[in-house]
Amino acid sequence: MNVSIASSRAEGALVEITDVRKSYFSNRVETPVLHGINLHMQRGDFMAVMGQSGSGKSTLMNILGCLDTPTSGTYRLAGVDVEKQSRAELATLRNRTIGFVFQSFNLLKRMTILDNVALPLIYAGVSRKASRDRAQTQLDKVGLGELANRQPNQLSGGQQQRVAIARALVADPPLILADEPTGNLDTRTSNDIMALLNELNRERGQSIILVTHEPDIAAHAKRLVRLKDGLVLYDGPATEGLRQLKTDDSIATIAEAAL
Amino acid sequence: MKLVHVLSEALRAMLANPLRTMLTMLGIIIGIASVVLMLAVGDGIKAFIDKQLSVLGSNLVIVQADSRKAVGARLRTGTVQTITLDDAEAINRLPSVKGAAPMLTTYSQISYGNDNTNTQVQGTTPTSFVIRNLRLAKGIGLSEVDVASATRVAVLGKKVAEQLFYKNDPIGQTIRIDNQSFQVIGVLDNEGQSFDSGDIGEVVMVPISTARVTLVRTATPRSVQYVVVQSKTTEGLNDMVADIKDLMRDRHRIRADDVDDFRVVNFGEFAKTGEAIATGLSIALGFIGAVSLVVGGIGIMNIMLVSVTERTREIGIRMAIGARPSDVLWQFLIEAVAICVVSGIIGVALSAGVASAVSSTGKFEMMIGLKAVVIAVVFSCVVGVFFGFYPARRASKLQPVECLRYE
Ligand SMILES: Nc1ncnc2c1ncn2[C@@H]1O[C@H](COP(=O)(O)OP(=O)(O)OP(=O)(O)O)[C@@H](O)[C@H]1O
Ligand SMILES: [Mg+2]
Repeated sequence: MNVSIASSRAEGALVEITDVRKSYFSNRVETPVLHGINLHMQRGDFMAVMGQSGSGKSTLMNILGCLDTPTSGTYRLAGVDVEKQSRAELATLRNRTIGFVFQSFNLLKRMTILDNVALPLIYAGVSRKASRDRAQTQLDKVGLGELANRQPNQLSGGQQQRVAIARALVADPPLILADEPTGNLDTRTSNDIMALLNELNRERGQSIILVTHEPDIAAHAKRLVRLKDGLVLYDGPATEGLRQLKTDDSIATIAEAAL
Repeated sequence: MKLVHVLSEALRAMLANPLRTMLTMLGIIIGIASVVLMLAVGDGIKAFIDKQLSVLGSNLVIVQADSRKAVGARLRTGTVQTITLDDAEAINRLPSVKGAAPMLTTYSQISYGNDNTNTQVQGTTPTSFVIRNLRLAKGIGLSEVDVASATRVAVLGKKVAEQLFYKNDPIGQTIRIDNQSFQVIGVLDNEGQSFDSGDIGEVVMVPISTARVTLVRTATPRSVQYVVVQSKTTEGLNDMVADIKDLMRDRHRIRADDVDDFRVVNFGEFAKTGEAIATGLSIALGFIGAVSLVVGGIGIMNIMLVSVTERTREIGIRMAIGARPSDVLWQFLIEAVAICVVSGIIGVALSAGVASAVSSTGKFEMMIGLKAVVIAVVFSCVVGVFFGFYPARRASKLQPVECLRYE
């Protein structure tokens, strides 16, 4: 199923968001967070999203992941109009189209690594046996095949994040969404994880959207999107974006020093 | 998502917190055990009554003299009205009657060699064997010839035969009843309580004519103590009782405004009363069972709500990777049902233990039938679905993004 969806839509953009706005409401008080975001992304792209804390990165990622709905604007994911989908259809859409990698790993406790990785396939209706076989193959690919029968709490953070990546990949979704996947890891482990994502993008043409605070991490991406107060500040090649970021930062430092 | 998967998830969740699961199950265990015991008690009592009915024969009534009522009305004329052989024959001729057996009974000492025992001796006719379902383990029963010629023959109850003869064959042996010799011609096969003589195994039966001559002194040469009557059909029982009353009033020349000098005791009514008591007991136990099932169900609902809250993040993760609301609903619903069904099985086991303990005392037979097991499983499923649905639905309505933010 995944394959047919992926190939039939291969011509169109994978992600098209047009004038997406998002406000949170608490006690009837509206807090606007995203003020009209436009983004297009083709298959095979590797996009890093940066921005200050509170700029709306996670809010955007939740919308991209069909976990949350925009207050206004349109979102087409792999050719599907997300706003028109029911909750059940959204679940199926996530299952087939998106692999999530979270900052806090989010593996299920009291379940083996293997079962964790197999779960998206179970929800896709694949048989238990086949799910486990494919999960084992995926675990082997991320180099954790030996640990298949361990529980998540018996693994290091870096290993857990690899398992999470295996889980994100197992159903072969066209898009990986990773919100600060290295946020809880040290520099060396972060580099390992990034090398893995990089390899996936290069060798399989896996589309990835990744949120990070660190320019070193963002440097692995092809494209950079910078958010500021709910608006896109920069959208272009990562190398150019990171150079601008450096300049902006030094200007800010000088300005601060001047004050 | 496959059922196997949902079931293994439910099992995992139950085992994650075994003590809590166990405590939650307690209410349902007690509820199911009471429901099953209720059925077992009800069935036990009904089986007991059925057994009694089959021993004493069904659709039977007894006609006997009612001396209380006869006193004022009849003593003036100087005749004590009793039931006679002629009454019995007249009753026997009624179209609604299948058979009527006149009876003369007494307690006598029975002896054979050095062994002796005191027990009830019943003087009766062959009809008695037919209408009271009496079967012979050995030998033959009483015959019309025995009655006509007052032969000294006896048919022994099972226990009497064992007491006097152990394992030896009693047929053809001579026993003494109140020091008069009788030849044993048969041994009864029936066991259990009889309506008019206690344990049917402890009875000795002789021809009524012989009893009158040798054992029982009667007011008149034809009077009997009572007549056992069986109706042709169960439906016709009440009509038959009315027929007997009309006939007897007529035969005893009782004026329209006078009371009966006889009594018709209907054993079917006793059986009905017994069944009514059994039903009442069942309802009481059923009520206790229902209350504990409801209380247990509320306990399940409570724990499931706690569990949904505790596992909010897990729900979020599952939804993110593709669990539909229905998948989440099923997961929690099946978990609640699984808890209930396991409780149901433990409840059945518990009640089976109680039933075998009660049965082993030998006073009352309690059986846990397949029906009870099926009902227990169905009940526990119903409780699981009923009380598990709300928490499960609540889980399925959670928003993925909020669940993932939940700490
Ligand atoms: N559920 C919510 N209710 C109300 N306001 C929210 C909610 N979630 C986020 N916000 C607000 O929206 C803004 C953007 O939050 P968001 O989490 O998208 O930021 P972020 O860019 O991911 O920040 P960080 O880098 O710290 O993760 C913040 O001001 C935050 O307070
Ligand atoms: Mg964030």
